[in-house]
Amino acid sequence: MNPEEKVYHERFMREAIAMAELALKSDETPVGCVFVKGGEVIGRGMNETNRTLNGTRHAEFVALAGILSTMPISTLKETDLYVTVEPCVMCASMLRQYGIRAVYFGCWNERFGGTGGVLNIHSDPSVDKPYPVHGGIFREEAIMLLRKFYVQENEKAPEPKQKKTRELKTEILPMDIHAPKSTPSPSLV
Amino acid sequence: MGADNAIPSGQLVPLRTKDEVRASLETHRVYVVEIPARFANTVKDVIQAAIPGFKTAEISHLRRVVQFKYLPAHLQKQFYPPARLQRGDEDTSPISLSPCSTPLPPSPTGDVEIIEEANTEDEDIVRFFVLCPTRFIQHAELFALLRRNPPFTNIPVPPKLLYVTVPALAPTSAEQATMWSETYWPIAYKNTNPYGPHPSLVLRNTIEIESEVHKWLAVAAEAGSEIAALGLGEKIGCVVVDRTRGTSEVIAVAGDCRWRSPSGATEAHLGRGNVMAHSVQRAIAMVAKKRLRMAGADPALLDRSLFCDIPLTDVEKPYWETENIPASGYLCVDLDIYMTHEPCVMCSMAILHSRFRRCIFGTRMPLTGGMTADTIGTLANPGKGLQHGMFWRPSELNWKFLAWEWQSKEKDAEASVKDILHV
Ligand SMILES: [Zn+2]
Ligand SMILES: [Zn+2]
Repeated sequence: MNPEEKVYHERFMREAIAMAELALKSDETPVGCVFVKGGEVIGRGMNETNRTLNGTRHAEFVALAGILSTMPISTLKETDLYVTVEPCVMCASMLRQYGIRAVYFGCWNERFGGTGGVLNIHSDPSVDKPYPVHGGIFREEAIMLLRKFYVQENEKAPEPKQKKTRELKTEILPMDIHAPKSTPSPSLV
Repeated sequence: MGADNAIPSGQLVPLRTKDEVRASLETHRVYVVEIPARFANTVKDVIQAAIPGFKTAEISHLRRVVQFKYLPAHLQKQFYPPARLQRGDEDTSPISLSPCSTPLPPSPTGDVEIIEEANTEDEDIVRFFVLCPTRFIQHAELFALLRRNPPFTNIPVPPKLLYVTVPALAPTSAEQATMWSETYWPIAYKNTNPYGPHPSLVLRNTIEIESEVHKWLAVAAEAGSEIAALGLGEKIGCVVVDRTRGTSEVIAVAGDCRWRSPSGATEAHLGRGNVMAHSVQRAIAMVAKKRLRMAGADPALLDRSLFCDIPLTDVEKPYWETENIPASGYLCVDLDIYMTHEPCVMCSMAILHSRFRRCIFGTRMPLTGGMTADTIGTLANPGKGLQHGMFWRPSELNWKFLAWEWQSKEKDAEASVKDILHV
């Protein structure tokens, strides 16, 4: 990645981090994302699993539900995703079915990452076109947000309130978030 | 297509896990040598001392010492006649064979260990002894090693090293152990399954749900038919059932909604449609919204029309309206999901994220499905499968559950959707 490209991608990753910060304020696992087409942000999303009691309401779903309410699905063929944490297996498959152009993310997810952290849903054999992924953009910042959330949730629970709720809130633990053992090549593969 | 008068004609088959499939396919070659029975422990120790990297646990599923008559037919043919080795030196201390290295006929249950009486006559009958997998030592080196140790120091015949192909990993069922004993080498089965759910657990759950599978799959199919008739989706559906209270309670029914536009109209059937409106996604959202409602919160909180999680057909509505879910519950823990088809990778992971207890589907989707681990495929796509086996990958993913396919004798379901469709 040349310096010019780096500046371009970091600009949008900063926007994704802003969404993750908003999630943190809303008591949600701090994962945020933006979808970008032609250098413009066309949609934003953050994790909403805690408030909806729905474990599938990830930032990518939330953002796409907004985008696709006004734009045709074909838009996504020219659209890139910037997300603070590697897309999970579910979101990785969804993005491929929709035909996303490329995915840029912050830190890897060793717990259920779908683009290299655990599985390779973006490139495995499939009836859908594969997409390139690029991880590690503002990785430390993404991890720091998850740590903050972890601390915040622990401090908030002086009495052992509903254990199951807490289990969901900390669905991604800071220790699960790091670069994969075999770091993929930094190029857009 | 009614759920009441349908006669169940099919079979509930537990899916094989990814590790089970691997275990059933992986073979390698081992060295086998003919020795008099009473030298089994001596040879075992020689191998152990010479190859410290080889752990016998790796071949603990293989009978280590086997009589000619218990070899599988193809090996009997290949090794015939068994050597008549002379007795070794008389001053060798007598040995007692440990139970695990006793030759045994492959018993159907496999878990009963019989210690064979070692009488003097028996001790001189040749045994076929598994030395180690071939990757640990070169043939020439092994030959030389055996040659300079008993019994070959005492008998004029040089060691005859044989190659045998064996399963690399332990069997996961008694049936598999019996089959392998006939096709590869006598196998020990310890009534455990290191590569998937314990057989007794699977059996107990199969018995519990067996009689109702046909009924719920019929409701799922009805959900698919109704939504397809409205032009809103494919003929795909699912049913979420709670069986924790003894009887079955249907929590949610949802059909596929990929062709419904954000405004609720029918869209042209082009491309993949609205991926987020697969029936599994809709059903999970309905469960969540029922929990919100029961907790006194607004079920429409943060809702978006593209999630299509309001009931749309006559079969979906009554289950949505029934207040039958505990507000205190967590995601879909303890709930079962019945689907007309194998869910796509996205939906398989959604089921995993939602912590479902059991998953049952009707038709395999070898080109797009995320649950199956093997490549059995279908009539239309034999030998195909993505092999994700996502229901049971505990070392990689953070939840696991039991999964079955319903093998129907009717086989009309297969043609209901295109094979490249994501369910
Ligand atoms: Zn996700
Ligand atoms: Zn799906």
